[in-house]
Formats: sequence, C-alpha cells, structure tokens
Amino acid sequence: MARTVKRWLVLLAAVSLLLANAVPAAASSAPYESYNYNSWREAVPSPDAYLPKRTISGSDLGIGEFKDPSDVNVSSSGQIYILDSGNSRIVILDAEYKLLRVMDGFTREGSKETFNAPGGLFVDEEERIYVADTGNSRVVILNADGQLDRIINAPESDVLATDFQFQPLKLTVDHVGRVYVVAQGVYEGIMQFDETGKFIGYVGTNKVERDYGEYIWRMFSTKAQRAQMVLFVPTEFSSVDIDHKGFVYATNIDPGSNEPIKRLNPSGEDVLKRFGYFDVKGDIRFRNNTGPSKLIDVKVLGNGMYSVLDATQNRVFTYDDEGHLLYIYGGKGNQVGTLKTPVAIEQSGNHQLVLDRGKSNLVVYEPTRFGTHVNEAVALHYQGEDTEAVHIWQEVLKLNANYDIAYIGIGKSLLMEKKNKEALGYFELGMDRKSYSVAFKRYRREMMKEHFGTFLTAGIALIFILILARVAVKWRRRRQIDREAGLH
Amino acid sequence: MKQDYIKFPLHLIFHPIDAYWDLKSDNRGRMLVAFLALALTIIMMTLQKQYAGFLVNFTDPRTINSIVEIATVAVPFFLWCIANWSVTTLMEGEGRFREIFLATGYSLIPVILIYAPMIVISRFMVQEETAFYYLFNSIAFFWFLLLLFIGTMTVHQYTVFKTIITMLLTLVVMGIIVFLGALVFSMLQQLYEFGYNIYRELIFRT
Repeated sequence: MARTVKRWLVLLAAVSLLLANAVPAAASSAPYESYNYNSWREAVPSPDAYLPKRTISGSDLGIGEFKDPSDVNVSSSGQIYILDSGNSRIVILDAEYKLLRVMDGFTREGSKETFNAPGGLFVDEEERIYVADTGNSRVVILNADGQLDRIINAPESDVLATDFQFQPLKLTVDHVGRVYVVAQGVYEGIMQFDETGKFIGYVGTNKVERDYGEYIWRMFSTKAQRAQMVLFVPTEFSSVDIDHKGFVYATNIDPGSNEPIKRLNPSGEDVLKRFGYFDVKGDIRFRNNTGPSKLIDVKVLGNGMYSVLDATQNRVFTYDDEGHLLYIYGGKGNQVGTLKTPVAIEQSGNHQLVLDRGKSNLVVYEPTRFGTHVNEAVALHYQGEDTEAVHIWQEVLKLNANYDIAYIGIGKSLLMEKKNKEALGYFELGMDRKSYSVAFKRYRREMMKEHFGTFLTAGIALIFILILARVAVKWRRRRQIDREAGLH
Repeated sequence: MKQDYIKFPLHLIFHPIDAYWDLKSDNRGRMLVAFLALALTIIMMTLQKQYAGFLVNFTDPRTINSIVEIATVAVPFFLWCIANWSVTTLMEGEGRFREIFLATGYSLIPVILIYAPMIVISRFMVQEETAFYYLFNSIAFFWFLLLLFIGTMTVHQYTVFKTIITMLLTLVVMGIIVFLGALVFSMLQQLYEFGYNIYRELIFRT
C-alpha cells in the first residue's frame, strides 16, 4: 500500500517537474537572460532589448585575426574604427561592416612611424582620428586620409610631478578640439588639453570613499604597519565619452563607489541625474564574491541615454537621462552574444557594438521590438513629445507589463493633459511617489473646487443637527425630571 | 460599564499619574480593556501597513503576513510583561503581574487613537504633508513610552531613576528570555532529531 502511494507521489513529482519546464521561462534566442530591477530591488525577468546579430573578427574581414583589440569608435559618418592594439593598426569598416582600409602607421617627416600598444581612439566630426598611443606616451592625431595632423606629447606643467609618466589610455574630443585624456596612474582626474595640444588641467576627480573600519584599524597600527598598508588614493577613470552638448561622461572602476558614472560639466562638476529608484551603478544586487559592477566603458547614445559596459558580469546597462535603468543585456560565456573580456562599447546606427578582447571580435547587437520601442519612447520623452510617446509606451507594456518606466511615462503624459486621476493610477503602478504626489495635489484641488459647496452645506447641516439633538435630549430630560416631580 | 471601559482609559492617557494610581489602588483596571488595547494595536499596525496612503506606505504588499504582524506586537508585549515582572520582583517592586499587564496594555491606547485617523488622513496627503504623518506617528510612540514609564513607576512605586534602570534591565531580560527560548527550542529540536534518527535506524534494520 505504502509502496503504491510512494510510486504515485514520485510520478506526480515527475509530472509536475515536466509541467513546470513545459513553458519556457523566456522564449528567446538570446544566450543570456535579460532582466531588470523592480522598485523592491528585485531582479525580475524582462524581454531582451538587444539580441546578438553577428560577430566580426579579423579573419572574417580577411586581414588576419585581431590581437588584443582595445577600442572601437564610430564616426559621425558611420564608419567604424577598430583599434587593433596588438597589431598596432586601425581597422576601418563602413556602416555595413565591410572593410574599408587598414591603417598601420603614419609618416612623420618622411619616416614611417607606428603605434605602440595604443589604448584608445576617438574620431571627431571631421573624421580626424585621435589615438592614445600608450606605449609611446603620446596622443597621435591623424586627419581623414591617414596623414599626420599633429602629436600631443607628454605635457609639461607645474602641477605635474617631475617623474610623471604620460600613458594615455582613453580619450575623447569635444567640438572645439579640446582633448580629454584618461591616463594611467593619474588620480587627479581627466587630463584636458586645448586644441593646440597644451595641457590645461584636470577635470573631475573621484572622491576617496572613507572606510571607517579601515580608519579605526589604522589608529591601532604602528608606523611600520601603516607604511605597509594601501594608500587612500582616488581611483582612476576607466573611460570617457562626450555628448553633443560637450558634457564629458566618465566611468571609474572604484568597487565601493555609488557614483561610478559621472557627467562632467565644463567646470568639472558631476551633473549626472540620478532620479531612478537606485544608484546609477550597474547591478544593484550581486553576490559578494562577484562584487559590484566594474564599469569600463561608457557610450552616449543621444537623447540623454547612455550605455555602460560592466566587466564583472560582462553586461551592458543602458540608462536614460534621468538615471532610470532601461534595460540590461549581455553576459559571460563563449557563445555568440555572450562576452569573454569586453573592453569597449559603441553604437552604429541602431546597432550596439561591443568589442571583445578575449575573443578578438566585435559583437553586433540588434535591438528587438522591445528595445526599439523603449529607445523610441525615451527619445520622444526626452524631446518633450510625451503625448506621442504614450502609444509607444503602451506597446512596451504589451511586451513587458512590469516595465515601470512605461507606466511613469504614460502617467506624465496624462498629467500634462490634466487627467490627474488617471495619472494617479499609472504613477502608482510605476511606483513613482514624487510624480504621484504632484498628480494627487492637483486632483485634490480639483475635487475641492468642485465639491466645496457640498462639503460646506453638509458641514453646516451636521452642526445644526447636533445642536438640535442636544436641545431635544435636554428638553426630554427636563420633562422627565418634571414628571418625576409630579408636575404633569 | 462606560465609566470603566471607555471613560477611564481616556482619562488615563491624559492624566496618567492619577489614573495609574487609581488603577492600582481602586482596582479600576479591566483585563478586557488591556487585551482589547493589544488586539486593536495589532489591528492598527496591520491596517497601517495595508491601507496607509501610497506616499507613506513603503511596505511590499506581498510581504504582509497576519501571523507575523500579530507576533511582532504580541510577543514583545508579553515578553515585556514577563521580563518586567521578573525584574521588579527582585527589585522590590510593588506591582503584581496583573497590574504590570494592565499598565502596559493601557499605555497602548494613544497608539490606537492616533493611528486610526492617521491611516485615513494619510490617504489624502501629498508629499509635503507626509511630515505630519511621521510626526503624529512619533507622537504616538513617545506618548506610549511616556505612559509606559509612568505606569511602571506608579505600579511599582519607584523613583524616576529606578524606573529608568528597571526598564532598561527589563529590555536586557527580554533578550535573555529570547536567548534561552532559542536555546531550549534548538535543544528540543536536536532531541527530537536524535530520537527520530534512532527510530529510523531501528525500522530500517530489520
């Protein structure tokens, strides 16, 4: 008897397992699981925003494998520049990922010079190529057809130490030709050079995070021990990018920082908006042994959006201008679409490109319907076209009913149209307390205006009835007393 | 009826020193009122989590659990009474357990009286006004503490200083009780496991 029951139980368990697996968690061809954070800090599954389309390696292009590629940049004309550091060359592709040409050096005063382990490159609007030639301690600027334009050598300045080693890693250039360089071992900030190549100074500094435990530990240690300890120095920046307004976006890999992404205004202050539920720092929840996200590259996408590349879990996080996390894609692995050692992120048209040093290739990601809709809606919202964004947000909600930002977007548009009561519901779904409060204030005032007369009438009537009741009770009591006294 | 069950508790929260003395010497306190106060406090706490306005309510609705809600109020309440009785018995307190229980129960009344309207009002508040919500919640809490303090002082006929010491000691004893309880529980569990393992060894060894 017990045996049959047991057998049935086993069968039941097996069936339930099968049933549980019958519906796939997410019907997608992505080699990674996309997710997003809800307002309770939980990672919840989300539709994929980007799917890997193809990869491009050196042999695909017929020029030999890439070797330790370190940076990729897309010019305003759509050409893709890959910095193939190990081979000291720049590979240029057109927007269709066809090989245009390969640049393996430049001529300077008649003699040919090459790069030495260059770390980063940037292409400006006039197709001038800026190369951070790390091994040669210089920044090389080539014009569109590969001729040498000028060279920025190691700067000389009073603020620099005498034994200063200039090792530029990443750079970006604003529209007047100022060059922002992230250099190795420079803790003071991003080095800024003017258009003639003169060192101006530093912009943006990472603050030292105080660790009070360490501080107390330090108080009890001897001088010799203290000398052995690590110094409290600010971390270096890991990468820079620039938006069309001239604000420099910079990332750092400080593991304890809650502000690893900075948007620096011309005077070097951080003006990044952080109005989302969480810190703008990649993953909110992570295992202790994996640690927080290590953001190694940032790409400004336009319309206030920016993507950052995380080297801990090899994922790409995209934020809108207010600091809401829009979507997350990517992951560790060896399949197409997962990444081994990502180093740089770029955007080409609506594709996103991630350069993978580990696999020596460039991964091309294509937005899905979900991703496209989100991008469109965020862009419309950024341009102030909230009413037009609404129906796109509704499309987004059909694809992902848990997408808080869509609810907030619709709510904001309703608020604009003075539909305060409807907006309330959307803000509550989107858990946006601030906007909810605004909508509620207006709704309450509306209600008060409409019903003030009724309120007042009811109030006065109530008071009147209370007085009447009181008089009646008194009168009856007196009657009773009178009756007891035998007056009737 | 009305005198003892409604008017006296309301009188108590505004005139605690007199009323706690009446409660002790004239036997004005009613166990029913104390139990009711505890029950209502639990209900108010739960209602607040469930129905307070969106702007002040940060509770994840999926995590609300009535058993947990009951336990978070009732367990500390009874622990306090028991711990306080244990401490004051050793420290020459004059209060009996019943009086401690009554004093603690009656001091919860402001919490109920303030929470109930605040839950309703919070639904009509905007962000700037939520400060009042928090203010009144704090008032309720400190009023409760004050009543508990005066109650303990009156019931045991202590000085102010001794009351403070006693209350702090009570907290320590509460911790000790929890610790011992956990210890006993864990030991019982291990005993059970031991017994169960022996049983299993026996039935499989045939």
